[in-house]
Amino acid sequence: MESIVKFLLDNSRVLVMLVVLIIWIGIFGYLWKLDKKVKKLEEPD
Amino acid sequence: MKTYYKLLVFFIISGVCIAGFMAPIDFIPGLGERARNLFFHVPMNWAATIGFIMSMVFSIQYLVKKDLQYDIKAHAAAEVGLLFCILGYATGTLWARVDWGTFFKIDEPRMMSLLLLMLIYAAYLILRSSIDEPEKKARLSSVYLIIAALTVPFFVFIMPRVFPGLHPGSADDTQSPGGGPVVKNEMNSTMRVIFYTSSVGFVMLYVWIYNLRVRIEKLTIKKLRSITV
Repeated sequence: MESIVKFLLDNSRVLVMLVVLIIWIGIFGYLWKLDKKVKKLEEPD
Repeated sequence: MKTYYKLLVFFIISGVCIAGFMAPIDFIPGLGERARNLFFHVPMNWAATIGFIMSMVFSIQYLVKKDLQYDIKAHAAAEVGLLFCILGYATGTLWARVDWGTFFKIDEPRMMSLLLLMLIYAAYLILRSSIDEPEKKARLSSVYLIIAALTVPFFVFIMPRVFPGLHPGSADDTQSPGGGPVVKNEMNSTMRVIFYTSSVGFVMLYVWIYNLRVRIEKLTIKKLRSITV
């Protein structure tokens, strides 16, 4: 655990990259779900 | 939107996030490691600019053909363009905090020009929401969007390069004169690959969100019509 903390402290860019990736995955998941929902609503009854 | 398109957007932007932070970059005078912001800040603003131009094209089409479909498209293009402009501005202010020591500088031409551009498009949204009659709303919105888009080249390309300022590419920029690291291409090949891939990725993301916005608007109108009939 200590070595991971030391690694992240020495490589703060990795930490920033991980945060940005998590945010992007969240946004992508939301858009994907929204697209599916809209597609379902567009289908004729 | 096709599934492969969405997956392509995901992989391009994920790749840009990883490469943008991890790939070794060349030293650009005055920017250093902070140049990594180029991979996100500039493509977001490019996507916004494309969105504003798209809104003008659809507005002209509406005024010519009087078809409300074009009004919906123009509105979606401007709205999503404003979203990307806000994101571009946010990444710019974060960079400014590190580089200039402040989030906002009132005498910085690039900051002021983008802020004015955002206010113009925010005013458009307010104007649009204040009119109820669909035909009148579409006509006024179209005229407004055409005039607003005419200011885009001035605020994005001309004003920040004519006046002196701290932003790379300003009139008195001695470290990267004549347009900053992007226009002058002071990036090495790795940086250029990441930068252009990011530009494509963000424009593709813009198109996806724009497409979603248009479809949602059409569904809303359809639902409203079914309620009133």
